[in-house]
Amino acid sequence: MSSDALIRRLSADLAPVRRRSAWRDAAIVIAACMLEIALFRALGLMRPDMGQAIGSAYMQWKLGGLVLLAGVSCAAAIRSFAPTASSRAGLSVAIALAGGLAVAGLFIAPAGAHGDALLERLSPLHGMLCALSILVVSLPVMGILALLMRRGAPTHQERSALACGLAAGACGALVFAFCCPANDPLYVIVWYAAACLGVTAMGRWLLAQRFRL
Amino acid sequence: MRLHPLLTLIQRPSPRGEGQARARPSPCAEWDRLMIAAQDGHGGAYRRLLGELAPWLQRYFERRLPPGEVDDAVQETLLAVHRRRHTYDPAYPLRAWLAAIAKRKWIDQLRGIGRRPTDALPDDLAISDHEAMVTSATVLASLLEQLRPAQAQVIALVKLQGYTIEDASHETGLSASAVKMNIHRGLARLTAFIEKTDDVE
Repeated sequence: MSSDALIRRLSADLAPVRRRSAWRDAAIVIAACMLEIALFRALGLMRPDMGQAIGSAYMQWKLGGLVLLAGVSCAAAIRSFAPTASSRAGLSVAIALAGGLAVAGLFIAPAGAHGDALLERLSPLHGMLCALSILVVSLPVMGILALLMRRGAPTHQERSALACGLAAGACGALVFAFCCPANDPLYVIVWYAAACLGVTAMGRWLLAQRFRL
Repeated sequence: MRLHPLLTLIQRPSPRGEGQARARPSPCAEWDRLMIAAQDGHGGAYRRLLGELAPWLQRYFERRLPPGEVDDAVQETLLAVHRRRHTYDPAYPLRAWLAAIAKRKWIDQLRGIGRRPTDALPDDLAISDHEAMVTSATVLASLLEQLRPAQAQVIALVKLQGYTIEDASHETGLSASAVKMNIHRGLARLTAFIEKTDDVE
């Protein structure tokens, strides 16, 4: 088919399109996170002592840090769905932020776990369950980001997929943080980071080659 | 009331030609307005836009791809423009948006060339136009300089000059599997290099 024939075919019966809006995409992701939190609350899975815990430095570090990380990584992912944008800068900021939060966490006194042995503080069995739960909780956000990526036009698919994975992992960790009874920053640094890395790798693997322009 | 962007396009120049240069929108600004109209479902504006984009894309790919790949790349890009037209943000120039898509298609096309089996070229191949080939060869030569000599040599022999793997193996003294490996690695390196390069036409 010649280019002229293709142009005639494409322009025949042209339908109006709704312009992609990054704000709308962001609102959809935020709504999904809020819905998950509301669902946890409705099912009675929220941390029972949330009222008191929210005032502690540990909880503020955990929730504040995850909100920041989720925000930055979601912004990087959503921004990269436009063909002219790249997620490189956003990803760099998100990775630096995650590192900074981990270091900051080491300076926060763990609530009642000072003298415990390392293995006891890490509690591997609970930690793995937490990581697995974060992975499951991050799946809806991953699915939504995949749909948004498909509707967008990312020109650096690998980096976009990486940003989507990181964003889904951070959102999953943020939602799960409302239910997680752990009070030790070391536990959060190790297991939440492991879960986020797992989801990021999964996103990179699942989404990178799926979508073509 | 805000005027429809199309109205500004169909305005006729004043008979006296007053301020004609100022009133006449630049081609890029015109493309922006045509795309906005196309997003609103105006087929005529869209046809005109694609008609103007096609030669631009033709020139873009002629400088970057072997002649046989240019038409495919142009049509692939036009299809991508059509499928992703809702992602164009009117706050930014269309040309940057188009160049980003074209660059992606260029990379895809290069990957496609790498995957495709290569046939030897016939000796009596007719060549109609040298200019595009010379330009394309210049760009390709500068790209090949980014590679190791062994990789550049086998890519030039097999992918550009049409040698078979066996002929290239005889020519370079390398084994056939080494030739294939050098081609594979060289093309991967080229693709990575192009992806890292900020190339906005």
